Amino acid sequence: MSRTKKILLVILILFIGIQLIHPVRNISGQVSLNDISKTISIPENVRPLLRTACYDCHSDNTDYPWYATIQPVGWFLASHIKDGKKELNFSEFGSYSTRRQKSKLKSIASQINDGEMPLSSYTFIHRNAKLSKEQKAAIMDWAVKAEEGLE
Amino acid sequence: MKILFMAAIAVIGLSACNTNGNQSKENTAEAGDTALTQSGNSAIKSESSISEVVTAYLQLKNALVNDNSKEAATAGGDLQQAIEKTDTTSFSAEQQKVFSEVREDAKEHAEHIASNGSNIVHQREHFETLSQDLYDLVKVFPSSQTLYQTHCPMYNNNKGANWLSETKEIKNPYLGTKMLTCGEVKEEI
Ligand code: HEC
Repeated sequence: MSRTKKILLVILILFIGIQLIHPVRNISGQVSLNDISKTISIPENVRPLLRTACYDCHSDNTDYPWYATIQPVGWFLASHIKDGKKELNFSEFGSYSTRRQKSKLKSIASQINDGEMPLSSYTFIHRNAKLSKEQKAAIMDWAVKAEEGLE
Repeated sequence: MKILFMAAIAVIGLSACNTNGNQSKENTAEAGDTALTQSGNSAIKSESSISEVVTAYLQLKNALVNDNSKEAATAGGDLQQAIEKTDTTSFSAEQQKVFSEVREDAKEHAEHIASNGSNIVHQREHFETLSQDLYDLVKVFPSSQTLYQTHCPMYNNNKGANWLSETKEIKNPYLGTKMLTCGEVKEEI
């Protein structure tokens, strides 16, 4: 075997090897009692947007795309979920203090305004999570109003 | 070679079916650190007032006034530490209540400011909410240093924002050197 072939073979074996290491899946299979929709009213046009664009990384239920089963894609997603849920978990939103809820709603509006969320590395492959200008405006409008409504 | 490729495809196929419905619950661990975690860093003198918190906040504010995101990040880290090591045992019941309410949120903002040393826009967003936390906090510590609650109506597309300052002279931490003197004192604390 030539040198390049050997290298390719090693890469292939490594690639096969890492397929066997699966991150734990983030699927609770139920709607949490602390889900944000139980504490804060979310208009019909905003709810599906949060589900498709944010819930994968910010809730207890990720809707895994098929390619998430291929490593290292799955690993990247798992690390995003871990960091994302630490920052904001829509499934646990109701358990936050009012101060923290307000603070998170404010962050939601500013993250979307700055174009930081959803993460661009995610929308790059997850095209349907990309938000249009109108969709962004709808989420920001909701978040700002919801924040003001909390006291 | 061909066999290897077949094996690769088989493994991918298998892994795709391997859906274990395990749920991870890392977020519950977070609540644990709200308890008094003074042990471990006994080398650092614990502080029985909020003066260190206020000092770090003001340092942060002044770094933002100077558009210095690196210094702001350092001050954010200091603030996070100051919040962590505050000893609340001598606080009144009301002070304890407000402190424990503010603690987690303020710490999180400080942490974000510390980790965004190259993104001053983001630091300022967190600084805004942090300023509200600090305001609520200093209100229940009337004997600490004199502070001025200051308001600038221009920040964030004219939504406006507040901050605490040690001086009456206006130096704006949101707009920085671009619009240094926007703002007016609303309250002396
Ligand atoms: C691919 C995963 C992913 C998706 C999808 C995603 N986020 Fe995030 N989010 C993260 C990660 C990781 C962090 C923490 C690190 C960071 O701030 O960059 C985070 C942080 C946040 C924060 C806290 C940031 C701060 O500084 O206060 C907010 C708010 C947020 N996300 C809102 C959203 C919203 C709203 C959506 C949907 C429009 C969304 N995210 C979609 C991964 C994601």
